[in-house]
Amino acid sequence: MISAEHLTKVYGKRTALDDVSFEVPEGEIFGFVGPNGAGKTTTLRILAALLEPTSGRASIDGADVARQPHQVHSRIGYMPDFFGVYDQLTVAEYLDFYASCYRQPKQRRRKIVSDLLELIGLTERHDQAVDTLSRGMKQRLCLARALVHDPVVLLLDEPASGLDPRARVEMREILRELRRMGKTIIISSHILPELTELCTMIGIIDHGRMRATGQVQEVIRQLSADRRVRITILGDTDRAVAILEPLAAVRHVEVAGGTIEATYEGDDSTAAGILQALTAEGITVSAFSPVEGGLEEAFMRITSEEAV
Amino acid sequence: MSSVVAAFWNPIVAKEYRSRMRTWRSPLAMMVYVALIAGLGYLMFSSMVGPSFGPSGQASTYGQQLFKYLVVFQMILVTFIAPALTAGAISSERERQTIDLLFVTRIAPFSIIWGKLLASMSFVVLLLLLSVPIFSLVFLFGGVELDQVLYCFLITLAAALTLGLLGVAFSTLLRRTLAATVASYVTAFGIVFGTLGYGLIFPTLIDQSAPSSPAPPAVTYLSPIMPLVALATNAPPLTGYFVRYKYQTGPVYNSGSTICKGNVCQTTGGGTVTVSSGKGGATPVDATAIPSGLFQGWQYWQASVALYAAICVVALLVSAFLLPPVRRLPWRRRSAAAPA
Repeated sequence: MISAEHLTKVYGKRTALDDVSFEVPEGEIFGFVGPNGAGKTTTLRILAALLEPTSGRASIDGADVARQPHQVHSRIGYMPDFFGVYDQLTVAEYLDFYASCYRQPKQRRRKIVSDLLELIGLTERHDQAVDTLSRGMKQRLCLARALVHDPVVLLLDEPASGLDPRARVEMREILRELRRMGKTIIISSHILPELTELCTMIGIIDHGRMRATGQVQEVIRQLSADRRVRITILGDTDRAVAILEPLAAVRHVEVAGGTIEATYEGDDSTAAGILQALTAEGITVSAFSPVEGGLEEAFMRITSEEAV
Repeated sequence: MSSVVAAFWNPIVAKEYRSRMRTWRSPLAMMVYVALIAGLGYLMFSSMVGPSFGPSGQASTYGQQLFKYLVVFQMILVTFIAPALTAGAISSERERQTIDLLFVTRIAPFSIIWGKLLASMSFVVLLLLLSVPIFSLVFLFGGVELDQVLYCFLITLAAALTLGLLGVAFSTLLRRTLAATVASYVTAFGIVFGTLGYGLIFPTLIDQSAPSSPAPPAVTYLSPIMPLVALATNAPPLTGYFVRYKYQTGPVYNSGSTICKGNVCQTTGGGTVTVSSGKGGATPVDATAIPSGLFQGWQYWQASVALYAAICVVALLVSAFLLPPVRRLPWRRRSAAAPA
């Protein structure tokens, strides 16, 4: 559905994007992660036909972004990382304006606007001036604006940036709803955990280069050879640590507030082996769960390689 | 048909109308505009109907004078208003970060420019309509035909369109509203007043051997004040200031004076110019046509409108080329990003 092949963008002496390639099949949610300035916005702007790549090509649903920008625009809903709203317009007028910009017939616009306001939960505020909305509401409104022409692809550049936790949750709910509607979505973020639970695919970009891309689990495996497990036991933690430390697969053991965190190398069967070793020694394990944070660390490691 | 309607009515126009008319600035601008024109009209009217308006004064002459001052004053006001309406058209969208949201819609960049321009010009039309009742004062005195009024309003509108379009072009080119506003005003004042100043400093020098009578320098036709005065007075405009003798240092013309050199006589200030040649006696010459130069035989308003049309076309093309985020020259269709 979305394909980028060898995208390179050079600004003067600075290379913002360096040979970035990826594919996003239909219906997938692609999380585009990287630190600020890594090239996420540049990539999304190229995909939205707002920026010309220095070399390489990209297409959306078969339409080439460089040669068929109009076809691309009718297929995508684009939400930039920074955007303004027009003052003096109400919420409903704002959406109606963009719907007419996408040449939606007048009879249909009223229904489009009311449906979208319901989706983003701003139905009661349809008569309120746009510039008086809170940041979270503006962000949701901008997302609704990207949906007025019912695009097949959504390009969302940091849709949750600058939002308070509550607004983040609301935004995530809307994105889930969009996933259910079968949209193909690219979401960029500089915060990895924000995306891992929402996305089906992930791409990690840093210094203009794609570091890892693929299905979420695949990338996680690719990134984190080291995995962590959190163990809660009833009784003496010191004895449990003494059992864990000599195990070949275990790299590191940490005790924090009665729970043990063990870093190990291996897969799920290695984890089962660790649990077995503990129970065999008569340790009563009340909880044994993998820690996802390993991914975040791996992400930090991968994205800071060049900076060091 | 629908494409014609779509060209004139695009969503930008409706949005601009809404945004513009919901601020306190628009009614204020309208009030100030009407108050200024009405003030000038009242001052002139009261001075004319006072004791000085004796039996010697001709009502039609007063009517013409009043009309002349009103149209010129209206043009000066429009010169101050038109750039302000359009200089922020594109740059403010950039500054507010709303322009990308327009670029990803199906609105063509040309329609964005056109929509912004149409909305601004509608406001100018509104102002001109608001001044109509004040202009009706002129008909108390007579001396001015309805078609003169109509022509003058159309010239004012054409000049406003030109200044507005230059504002849009600067707004597209300069990206910052402040810079665009300054550039638009400098250009607008240059066109309306600067060209007249040029004419004053470098007037046409009367050449006895020339086959036709002298005309003001062609640059001055850029100023809408020239055709407006020509139309309002039914005479060559301000020739006394822009046509001078070679041999004299100071300004030659005084109001109503007649100057003869050889067999060319010229009268100015009173309203008409007669040019007579010694050979064939007096030949009637169309008084309001440009007697010589680049636009020989044209009416002053025709010359101005032709120049405006040229400026508008250039400004429109420049804006339409500069506006799109990815610029494509029609003859250079996509080769850079094509696959190797």
